[in-house]
Amino acid sequence: MSQKPVTGHEISVPVYVVDDDESVRDSLAFMLDGYDINATTYAGGPSFLDNAEIMLPGCVILDSRMPELRGQDVQAILTQCNSPLSIIFLTGHGDVSMAVDAFKSGAVDFFQKPVDGEKLVQAIMLAADKSVARSQQLSALLSYQSLTEREQEILLLLVQGKRNQQIAETLCIAVRTVEVHRSSLMKKFQAKTIAELVLQYGLAIN
Amino acid sequence: MANVLIKAVIATLLLVMAQVHASNETDMTSSIPSDSNAAPFIDTRIIERIADNKQTMTIVDVGVLATRGVFEAKQRWQPTLLWLQSQIPNSEFRLHPFTLAEMETAVEQQSVDVVVTNPGQAVRLGRQYPLSWLATLNSKLGDGTHVIGSALVVRADSHYQHLVEVSGDKIAAVASNAFGGYLTMQLTVQNLGINPTAFFSDVSFLGFPVDAIIYQLRDGYFDAAVVPVCQLESMLEEGLIQQGVFRVLDDISPDNFACALSTQLYPNWSIAKTSAISATLAKKITRALLALPSDHAASIAAYSTGWTPPISQLSVDQLYRDLDIHPLQRPWWQEAAVWIKKNQQWAWVVFLFVLLLSVYHLILEYRFSRSERKLKATLNRLKEKNAMLEHAQRVAIVGELGSSLAHEINQPLAAILNYSQGGLLRINKGADASAITPALEKIQQQVKRADGIVQRLRALINKRAVAKSPCDVQALLTDTLELLEYDFQQKNITVSQSCVGNAVELEADIVGLQQVLLNVLNNAADACLMRDPAVPINNKISIESHYSDDRLILTVTDNGIGLTATSTELQNAFFTTKKDGLGLGLAICRDVIEAHHGQFSLVAAAPIGCRVSIQLPLP
Repeated sequence: MSQKPVTGHEISVPVYVVDDDESVRDSLAFMLDGYDINATTYAGGPSFLDNAEIMLPGCVILDSRMPELRGQDVQAILTQCNSPLSIIFLTGHGDVSMAVDAFKSGAVDFFQKPVDGEKLVQAIMLAADKSVARSQQLSALLSYQSLTEREQEILLLLVQGKRNQQIAETLCIAVRTVEVHRSSLMKKFQAKTIAELVLQYGLAIN
Repeated sequence: MANVLIKAVIATLLLVMAQVHASNETDMTSSIPSDSNAAPFIDTRIIERIADNKQTMTIVDVGVLATRGVFEAKQRWQPTLLWLQSQIPNSEFRLHPFTLAEMETAVEQQSVDVVVTNPGQAVRLGRQYPLSWLATLNSKLGDGTHVIGSALVVRADSHYQHLVEVSGDKIAAVASNAFGGYLTMQLTVQNLGINPTAFFSDVSFLGFPVDAIIYQLRDGYFDAAVVPVCQLESMLEEGLIQQGVFRVLDDISPDNFACALSTQLYPNWSIAKTSAISATLAKKITRALLALPSDHAASIAAYSTGWTPPISQLSVDQLYRDLDIHPLQRPWWQEAAVWIKKNQQWAWVVFLFVLLLSVYHLILEYRFSRSERKLKATLNRLKEKNAMLEHAQRVAIVGELGSSLAHEINQPLAAILNYSQGGLLRINKGADASAITPALEKIQQQVKRADGIVQRLRALINKRAVAKSPCDVQALLTDTLELLEYDFQQKNITVSQSCVGNAVELEADIVGLQQVLLNVLNNAADACLMRDPAVPINNKISIESHYSDDRLILTVTDNGIGLTATSTELQNAFFTTKKDGLGLGLAICRDVIEAHHGQFSLVAAAPIGCRVSIQLPLP
């Protein structure tokens, strides 16, 4: 058991706790509060899915055995709707196969009760980072998918380092047209410089 | 009588000439011994014929049935022989009184020339040997020729009124083949519809003379006697018995018949010749007999009125056939052999059928033993599977129990850990005591929750009500050993059992006690298997029950690995030296035995092994 409190870790994303057992829920929140982590608790999968901002980055601590919706089922639903949320499993009786399944489905970590607070907090920080990254990646992908065919052609050539003049020549269009498309591209990727655009493209392609 | 003198002279001559065969022949009236050989007579006759050149002296040996003894036989028949001698010149008739058996031997060996006998034997002999019937004795009784039968005699003061009442009682008779003395009565009984074997179930055969039978009846040795007809009357006449002492049952004698009679009448005695004498001599004898006047002394001595030509003996033949003992009747096996010879094809069919049946039987036997073996093997496999299943079930139950227990206990433990960690964090941050208080309170709640789970579990375990009922520990032991039989057999463990004192029942929790026995015996078996296999000892477990006035001491001793832990360690639950043990067995045993106010102890046994001692108080 850790005697040295880890403090000063600002968690930028919301932390959710989903467990059917009230005492576990409450005690977890109490402990995380000690680490300056403000956790929102839910008594079951459905209420969590209904009320939490699942399409924003965040971290969810899931109990695996719950009466209404199992933890694994909640995970499946989140994956299905491309949620950027990172998942940490916390189960009363887990075994190896359960853990392997959880990791394969993209869980960040897998704990058995009772869990050491220190380790849990570290896992939460990791999960938060991952969630943010995943969120960015998802938004870049969405941006890329919103491009028109012409914009995608131009983006590809831009990433290859071609100038507007060269692009216009390659595609046999006017330089002015290239400029219009380029400005639209920058807007869609919310990029101010060509370097940012390339970064976003990298995330989306990855 | 002149002939007698002549004979005497010749006999003296013979003595001088031959110096052999003399002793028997000197007294012509003496009876020859029953085993006498035929040869001396023939030799003698030839010599005699040579001896008298001018006048051939014919010697005729006459065998007579001596029903009432030798003396009486001589009295009865000697006059007749003398008559014959007087009628036939140059002849000598010698009398030989015989019993039934002696007569048969004499005829068989042809040591007699002429036989005088009763109809029963006459027919028996006539159907076996070449006899020619010369004449039948004529009686003054009845029709003269049919005068043979039996009388069933009882004492006059006895309670018997009819023949049937005698059935199964003590009966005396002459012989099993005596005609008047037994066979005629047997047929009469059979014709009455009574089983002769049952009727004569207590019969004694006393043989000749018949007088002795009457005396034994008189003296109370028997309840009834079967005697030839007129025996009683003859003895009465001779003054041998007194009037009114005897009665004859079911007297059916005809009006003109002076003797009491219980059976049908058969032909009178007959005389026959064997093949040893010539037809001429036979003719002479017959002529002389028929010529015998009815009032002649010889007739009177023979209780007769002379002789008549031979009469039919058919009724005697019928009697033998009805009794299934006719002399011409072949034994059943001979009949069977003849039948088989005649019906060979059927005999073969029967033989083959029997052969087939035997083969079929062998096949069945073989198949039966094979399926029996299979069945046994299957049974063993089944037992093995059963043991495995039971084990698996136990493991599953323990697993399920452990898993849910772990989950139940885990929840409050997890919460407590969380609260305490949170509390510590706050303390380290210098938080106010009031901020920690709720956490501590919640920790207490969680502890209570965990305690509740433990209490519930305990209640669950103790739920089985301990029902005490009368229990025979020996029977329980037998049952338990039966459960373990297969297991022990697999592990090559022999169990011996002994019991001292009077086994009495005691009030006990049977299920609990059986659990104890199972645990102890399983421990003993495991200990045997854990011993170094290099040590060459046979695995043995001995169980001793010692009943005294107030207690039963049950000791289970094994020769296994022995005790490796201290007794304090053994007291503790969850202490085990086994790889996959829970360490609960001995703890359960101790609990159960203490619940019975008994004692449970473990000590090392010498030279190797462990002894478990269970003391239980007796009522």
